Amino acid sequence: MLVVVIMGMLAAGKYLDRSRKHGPIKLVGDVRNVPAPNFDLPTLDGRRVKLSDFRGQAVLLNFWATWCPPCKIEMPWFVDIQKQYGKDGLVVLGVAMDDTESAKIADFAHEMGVNYPVLLGTDQVSDDYGDVRSLPTTFYIDRNGNIVSKAIGLLGREEIEDDVKKALSAAYKPVSQANRAEAKVKSARVQEATQ
Amino acid sequence: MKRRLVWLLTAFFAAGLASAQTPGDKQPSVIMAPIGDVQVKAGGSTNVSFDFRIGPDFHINSNKPRADYLIPTVLTLSPSEPVAVADVQYPAGEDMSFVFSPNEKLSVYSGDFSINTVLKAPANAASGTYPVKGQLRFQACDRSACYPPRSIPVQFRVTVVKK
Repeated sequence: MLVVVIMGMLAAGKYLDRSRKHGPIKLVGDVRNVPAPNFDLPTLDGRRVKLSDFRGQAVLLNFWATWCPPCKIEMPWFVDIQKQYGKDGLVVLGVAMDDTESAKIADFAHEMGVNYPVLLGTDQVSDDYGDVRSLPTTFYIDRNGNIVSKAIGLLGREEIEDDVKKALSAAYKPVSQANRAEAKVKSARVQEATQ
Repeated sequence: MKRRLVWLLTAFFAAGLASAQTPGDKQPSVIMAPIGDVQVKAGGSTNVSFDFRIGPDFHINSNKPRADYLIPTVLTLSPSEPVAVADVQYPAGEDMSFVFSPNEKLSVYSGDFSINTVLKAPANAASGTYPVKGQLRFQACDRSACYPPRSIPVQFRVTVVKK
């Protein structure tokens, strides 16, 4: 009995120590089929947007910055893709990771003809999505809030459209509060296992 | 000879670090060759060259990138008085473009590049050794992705001698 208690205390200590060292569990490794972390971020026009607002729709979540030329190449494609697949239930969201004033980001987005919401990224959302350092990084999220695919760096438009179609193909299955909690636990286990 | 050895050792460790990282997790490396003894006569000036090496597969914007939205490479030096910076000369960038946008040319540095500076000391400068601190700020990309702007420190000493 004593051995069990001691083992339990050691395991708890190890877990707490790791939590202290690494902070919240991050989205790392193979993220396919893992629930996309929710966020609540400000937009360029002063609104706030949560990922959970789009449950039932597929989401193309693109991390970018104004100083990133490959991001700039993708943006007109995302504008077209939003026009083409918006009617099918696709939402493109841009997350600007610039460390600059939002007016500069807004000017850039306007110049690029961006027709989708641009959110102002934070270290927290970068961390939650696995420490997004390379830009562009794009997550394709299905209608149930699960990640279908993650792309780091500039890809061709065809590859982007293939991922969009995958994200759109999953049928929406509304989940109860209990099921959502279970999915969260599953997600945490998957993320821990990859560390 | 000593400088070359330091280059080799630094490059070796940088390459080891880069190879240990997984795709998407890599970080661009820019390293600077050590600055040797810098001496300037009171009332005179001296040329100081800063030699940088960018890790394989990466490039950084030149000092004059072709668009306002790009972050230029800038060397900032803050010498202690009486030493002052008289001039900073950046090399011209080389043209490159991304595969999906061949017509949009960028002006970049890759591999090795040098920034030439001129440091000066006034005629009434007291003899002595003065520290110079500074930084190289750059923003790097590879062939498909870009990385947040970074700075590396620059530090050396300048000895002012009488005419």
